[in-house]
Amino acid sequence: MIFPQLSPNWFLGYNVALELIFAIVALIIGAFAFKIYKKTNQQQIKLFGISFAFISASYIVQAIFNTMAIIEANEHTNLLIELSSIVWFQMMGVYTNIILTIIGLCTLAYMTFKTNKTRILYLMIIISLLGIFLSANILYMFFLFSTIYLLVILVHFIKNYLENKQKNSLLIAIAFIFLLIGSIHFMISVNHQLFYAIGHILELIAYMLILTNFYLVLRK
Amino acid sequence: MNKKRDRLEIIHDILLSIRDKTGVVRQTHILYKSNLSHQMLVEYVGELIEKGFILEKKDKKKKKFYELTDKGFNYLSDYKVIRGFVDSYGLG
Repeated sequence: MIFPQLSPNWFLGYNVALELIFAIVALIIGAFAFKIYKKTNQQQIKLFGISFAFISASYIVQAIFNTMAIIEANEHTNLLIELSSIVWFQMMGVYTNIILTIIGLCTLAYMTFKTNKTRILYLMIIISLLGIFLSANILYMFFLFSTIYLLVILVHFIKNYLENKQKNSLLIAIAFIFLLIGSIHFMISVNHQLFYAIGHILELIAYMLILTNFYLVLRK
Repeated sequence: MNKKRDRLEIIHDILLSIRDKTGVVRQTHILYKSNLSHQMLVEYVGELIEKGFILEKKDKKKKKFYELTDKGFNYLSDYKVIRGFVDSYGLG
């Protein structure tokens, strides 16, 4: 299967840099959640850490395969070799990214349910991955599922802010609003490349807000 | 009206009641300071022992008393940061 190029040509390279930034921020948050989990033994914190670890891994995979595709495209002059290798890198990158992102988002959404029935989590992951990989438009379905899970997660963070009106919880709720809008832009980017770049910029704002919150937490 | 305490806060209150008491800490002292029912306290203390936050010991008269472990002390010293992180994401 050949996937459409989502990124406009002028944005190639920048997308990789941004994905690496997102990966680092998600990794920092995930690692810190594990550190807190070791001190508290709270199941929700562990799930939160796992979800951010998967999200971080998905960005790393995305960045690696996007870089390899760019390098392959620049190195080969033979059109057939170029096409086959680019398609292979692209497919591997897209599939791995979809699996990691969906596991990360399902875990985060499951965490918001505050239940310990892990079968619900497995069911969410299986249904999502089957729904995505069996659809005619894999990328579109992936972004659709991601948007739905981000909406569920956002509802949790908005509720959290309303119950606990603090600057920190507000920052996180706003960050997830940006992530949700970014995800909607990625959905549109299947047909309009510019939205892919806008989606990345919205994600950058979201991760900067998450990082700001982390700094404020550490300063306490 | 005061907000209902979550698990992290209850654990904090139990650990604090043990740390701040000079001398031997018995279950009645924790019960009084942490403002919990006896049944809830037994559950929490059992969990805290199992997870390594506190130690249950017996004196010469075979009466139980409690001490904080390093993990318990660490929890108290990092509580503000833990609280900040947990409240940001609604993990409590």
